Amino acid sequence: MLEKLVYDTKKYWKYTKYAAKSELKSEVANSHLNWLWWVLEPLLLMLVYLFIAVVAFKSTLKYFPIYIFLGLTLWNTWSGLLKNSLKLLKRNKGIISKVYLPKLTLLFIRMLVSGFKMLISFGIIIVMMICWRVPVTWNILYIIPLMMVLFLLTFGMCTILMHYGVFIEDLSNVINVGLKLLFYMTGIFYSLEERVHGLLGNILLYCNPISFVIHSMRNVILYGKSVNIWIMLFWGIVGIVLSVIGVKLIYKYENSYVKVL
Amino acid sequence: MRADAITVKDLKIVYRSLQSQSIKKSLFKAKKSKRGNFEAIKGISFSIKEGEIVGIIGKNGSGKSTLLRALANIFAPDEGSIHIHEHTISLMAIGVGFQPSLTGRENIMLSGMLLGFEEEMIRKKMNEIIEFSELGSFIDVPVKNYSSGMHSKLAFSITSVLETDIMLVDEVLSVGDARFKKKSEEKMKSLIGDKHRTVVIVSHSISTLSKLCDKVIWMHEGEIKMYDETQKVLYEYLEFMGADEK
Repeated sequence: MLEKLVYDTKKYWKYTKYAAKSELKSEVANSHLNWLWWVLEPLLLMLVYLFIAVVAFKSTLKYFPIYIFLGLTLWNTWSGLLKNSLKLLKRNKGIISKVYLPKLTLLFIRMLVSGFKMLISFGIIIVMMICWRVPVTWNILYIIPLMMVLFLLTFGMCTILMHYGVFIEDLSNVINVGLKLLFYMTGIFYSLEERVHGLLGNILLYCNPISFVIHSMRNVILYGKSVNIWIMLFWGIVGIVLSVIGVKLIYKYENSYVKVL
Repeated sequence: MRADAITVKDLKIVYRSLQSQSIKKSLFKAKKSKRGNFEAIKGISFSIKEGEIVGIIGKNGSGKSTLLRALANIFAPDEGSIHIHEHTISLMAIGVGFQPSLTGRENIMLSGMLLGFEEEMIRKKMNEIIEFSELGSFIDVPVKNYSSGMHSKLAFSITSVLETDIMLVDEVLSVGDARFKKKSEEKMKSLIGDKHRTVVIVSHSISTLSKLCDKVIWMHEGEIKMYDETQKVLYEYLEFMGADEK
């Protein structure tokens, strides 16, 4: 399985890159403010949540705009990919019913596109950090393993959703509601640590992988804190398991999806 | 003796009870849902030699298009195997898959890559494809804004200019308006005329098949009823269809 994965990815890498690039380009070409939207959209969203948080919750967290922006960036990338993967095969029916293409390639294209947009957001974060004079410690290097954990989790979940999205028509309804709920349980515009105490707080913080990743990212980037390595390792392993299950599923049904779509 | 271009062995393709359904159904009827398996292709074997032009004929629903898609590796065989012996292969069917939001030019690139061509090669052929498609400045417009005629012109141009070793043709020997139709027919003929190219054509048109093909496969309800010289098969086929109608 791993061999096939490596072989396919290599063989179709050029295609993946070209497709992702063209997609980004077409997004730019089809809007008036062009690529400015990639910067504007998250910034404006941040202002919305900043308003809610400051006015309604009277939050006094340090570096609060960056805090929200970082959380939003990670959340949007993750949840966007999840929602996208559900309809991925259906949307590309035109292509996959005419020519062979490893189905994972479609996911890789999506991940490249989202990854690129996330990079832009991280550029903004760096600028904001300079403006707010956020002190940086060595702990910031934890970004690398945290990103890997996020990648594995996202990839794993997306492959599985991509598979079931074909067979279960109304799965997207459930996922949408679930993601909405999870959004408020993740503490994007408030601090779970401060607002939710005791066992519930811990459950929300550590049993939800995405809130763990966001929480840890904020800690290492903004507050110079360290990471709970064991929990990070745990979610990393979960990510690997999910990925293996997902890739196996996709490979098993690779050429049968077209019959259903 | 020429080498095989395509070898098919005991090929079986089943449209299983693989069907999309709602969550409610899949929760409550998981055990009951035993819909009948539909065997589109029932264990067929044949081989096609390099450079041969083979037609496939048969009534609707006999598995012709399914077979073609299986040869193009779009459908997985449920049993048996298909070998194309390291040849490149392309399927020409109405409306090649495009990414609607991308321009024609980008779609040429992407389709070409999926057909197994190098970027360099496609760039070289780009102008020829654009010229053949007669799309002019529309080539830099997103494909979603194309008319259906433009769509099929572009599709035809890509698959006919980027020549693969094996071409699978599904019912489309002519697309577009009268002028383009003539041009595409001529292009098809010159493509088919190449001695090294293997071509498989699915068609209902007796005259097309008898003009172009060396051999014909007659499919009937998922099985090969006959695989022989063109004239013999077509004769038997017409006899059979005539008898069927009576």
